[in-house]
Amino acid sequence: MRNIMVLLALLSGLALAVLGGPTFNNLVIGATQEPSNLFPWEGAADTKENVMALFNIGLTFFDSNGHLMPGLATEVPTPDNGRVKVIYDANGDFVRQEVHWTLRDDAYWSDGVPITTDDVTFTFEVQRTPEIPVTTRSFSDLIEEIRVLGLKDFVIVYKAPNLFYANIAGAIGLARFYDIAPAHIWGPIYRQVMIQVKAEPGKAADIISGQLLGAPAATGVDPTKVIGSGAFKFVEWRINQFIRFARRTDFFLAPPGRAEEYVQEIIVRFIVNQPTLISALLAGEIDASDDIALAGQDPAILRQQYRLGTVFVDPSGFIEKLNFNLFASCKAAADLLLGDKRTRQAIIMAIDREDLAETVYPGAIVSNSFVVRGDVGFTENLNPWPYNPPGAKALLAELGWADLDGDGVLERLTEDGRAVKFELHWVSTTASFRVRTGEVLQEFLADVGIRLVVENLPGSVVFSTEYLNHGSECTWRGIVEYAEGGGTGEAPADPLSNELWAFDYLKAPLSQVSENIPLPENGFGGTNIMGWNSPQFDQLRADALREFDTERRAAIVAEMQKVYNVELPTVPLYERTDCIAVRTGLVNYRRGTPVARTQFWNPWEWGWEQNGARSVR
Amino acid sequence: MLAYIVRRLLQVIPTLLFISLVLYGLLALKPGDPIDELRRGNPGFTQADYERLREFYGLDKPWYVRYWRWLGRAVQGDFGPSRQFGRPAAQYVFENRLPNTLLLSGVALLVALVISIPTGVLSALKQHSALDYTVTVFNFLGVSVPIFWLGIMLIYLFAVRTGGFLPAGSMMTPGITGAWPVFVDRLRHLLLPVAALSSLHLAQWTRFMRSSMLEVVRLDYLTTARAKGLREGKVVYRHALRNAILPLITLVGLSIPQLFSGAVLTETVFNWPGMGRAIFDAILVNDFNVAMVSLMFISLLILACNLLADLAYALADPRIRYD
Repeated sequence: MRNIMVLLALLSGLALAVLGGPTFNNLVIGATQEPSNLFPWEGAADTKENVMALFNIGLTFFDSNGHLMPGLATEVPTPDNGRVKVIYDANGDFVRQEVHWTLRDDAYWSDGVPITTDDVTFTFEVQRTPEIPVTTRSFSDLIEEIRVLGLKDFVIVYKAPNLFYANIAGAIGLARFYDIAPAHIWGPIYRQVMIQVKAEPGKAADIISGQLLGAPAATGVDPTKVIGSGAFKFVEWRINQFIRFARRTDFFLAPPGRAEEYVQEIIVRFIVNQPTLISALLAGEIDASDDIALAGQDPAILRQQYRLGTVFVDPSGFIEKLNFNLFASCKAAADLLLGDKRTRQAIIMAIDREDLAETVYPGAIVSNSFVVRGDVGFTENLNPWPYNPPGAKALLAELGWADLDGDGVLERLTEDGRAVKFELHWVSTTASFRVRTGEVLQEFLADVGIRLVVENLPGSVVFSTEYLNHGSECTWRGIVEYAEGGGTGEAPADPLSNELWAFDYLKAPLSQVSENIPLPENGFGGTNIMGWNSPQFDQLRADALREFDTERRAAIVAEMQKVYNVELPTVPLYERTDCIAVRTGLVNYRRGTPVARTQFWNPWEWGWEQNGARSVR
Repeated sequence: MLAYIVRRLLQVIPTLLFISLVLYGLLALKPGDPIDELRRGNPGFTQADYERLREFYGLDKPWYVRYWRWLGRAVQGDFGPSRQFGRPAAQYVFENRLPNTLLLSGVALLVALVISIPTGVLSALKQHSALDYTVTVFNFLGVSVPIFWLGIMLIYLFAVRTGGFLPAGSMMTPGITGAWPVFVDRLRHLLLPVAALSSLHLAQWTRFMRSSMLEVVRLDYLTTARAKGLREGKVVYRHALRNAILPLITLVGLSIPQLFSGAVLTETVFNWPGMGRAIFDAILVNDFNVAMVSLMFISLLILACNLLADLAYALADPRIRYD
């Protein structure tokens, strides 16, 4: 009978209205990216984090106000509740850090199996198995041991300070995605794979890729094997089309009122082409967008077009920046004196960043820091670097730049007598807002005598190690523009702006070669692609990473921002926003603060007002 | 003939090897690898993680070493995993992409063929009539309007403006079950992309059919047929069309490889997961195994089609001998 009704609806062209939204009490979300697999230990991209959040929950989660809330844990460990102990020796040097967790008694996997410390120890075992290609070990390497105190209690002992011991996204040191994986599902697969890997070590990559990353529990080929700890359970994954989840009745967090009044099914549709996704939104085929789908869209225009619902703008936690090549070894960059902070200061003054943000990323807020608003230590007490072309020209003149041949472009004579024109190369991805940025920057910089040479390359090229990390060899020779996490939720796990430090002052003795500036001596490793080296900043960073007291850490982070704001190793343009479209009647689908990382933090609360769901966010 | 076929088949092997070497080398020239994709979105990702994963997947080796290893496995049918979709690349291409492309391109080809032949014939027979002028105008539009623009306009008109009368993209509506509902749902999803994709072929083939028909209808043997008192329908469809259609068959034949290689613009605009988009995306996100298996399959197909075409010539024309 249902099929006949659906068929009639299809034939009359009403299918989508019938099958989606409040009528069926489900939610269809549009996303432009698709996860590669559902393997809990490995992967990239926010989309995987979003999709995994629909059927998993971590030990903790951030709510839309930025508060860290207990998820699988009974409470968030803090020094105040006695669950976090930092042990120092008689000299006041750090010895270890202990974090005591207790799992909820009513926490079950989606197949009804209780979640216990067996799952915790198993997750950690996989995480530290050398043969398993987990995405990162930067936090699990800090773990000395996990002490099991019972079926629900365990203590993680860190051998180095971990300020982010309770944050999601892998900072606890367990699985990258939502901390704990089901041992009863992954255990047998893992053991079988390891037996084969030991037998044929030469084929380890093939065996693990095929049988672990490609296991039915990761690909969804067998839905009964895809088990999670979250509010919804996995139903099916039609690759390149959609992934579907159904509400669990035994999940420990409940929405206000009766659960039946909230969405019973979530479908994430993958529509890679943004204009097509927007069309589907306008046509009512999807009820909401995720936080990536509408990146760079003008919310004002979307609001005009989208008559079926509302367009929200939330801060994203990312700061769009101009990264300068500061390497003396790159002659083309050195000739332009990019290593002299006055050049960078002149450039920031030459750009009307308010106008730029309004033009290329409507809704974005101009930034003067590497930390986003609302995060620990964010300060407004910085030079706002207002638009000041005369000031920029004066600084450039002070550096010896002058328009010698009257063509409108500055020149100067180098120490070895060469005439150099101020032709500055700017590279970024092909995202439409970045293409527009290149054009706008060209105009602003032309006004002060700088010719900007614009190049837009595919993201996979711009972000490739061979390109980005080889600035010392002049693979890029001026500016690379992209966005970086500005110290959000996981984020000081960006550990206090991972891209800015040069030497790790937490280690003694200090390394001879920078661990974080990509150079031939360190195999071009590191994320400080500019080559900025500030001992003052590095010392402050180390102090901050050692400081467990939030207020004192905030004061140090504020100092770091002052150094950054004067030196400007990168020119911060604006804090990006996430544009999220939501159909009328859908409630609690909000991200709020960027600390929440995603608006997928509370799927159990999503519902349609038409069906009785109550708005609490 | 048999010796010729064997000789040609043997030539395919070194040709494919050479193609694979060139393709692999070109892909290796592109900066970036799959591990770079992991770096993005994982702020805790360290250089040690990068080097560990590159070593694990053998990406730290020079490209020719990797090629040799890839080749050793490819000849056994193992093209490695898709880094983008966590399953064997060949399985992904042949199960998830190729059937979709065949469906879309096949239907579009069929629609173009079914409409273009009678329209071209009618247009030729009614030369300089209102019908002929109308067809000509539509043909010029079909040839000159870019497919991606037409696609966007179709979506705007039939999906956005009508509040979802037809789907804006994708292949299916989630949650639909049952044979007939699924069939009708697929049909609805096919309508707009087929309309867009077939528009170019439709215009070209109609023009071609028209001019070919115009040439044939003036030939003496048709005058003779009419003089013999044959009915006009028989003259046109049995004698004229059968000769006029021969060049079109060649043209359609040349379009066959497109049936498998996909239509990247149409697939992109309509979110249709086909081969064209798979290759494009795979190259962009450094999913080399998917790119290689797709491109090698297309290369093999082209070589096979060339061989079949040569054999068909021999069968069709007794003057051609390969022995």
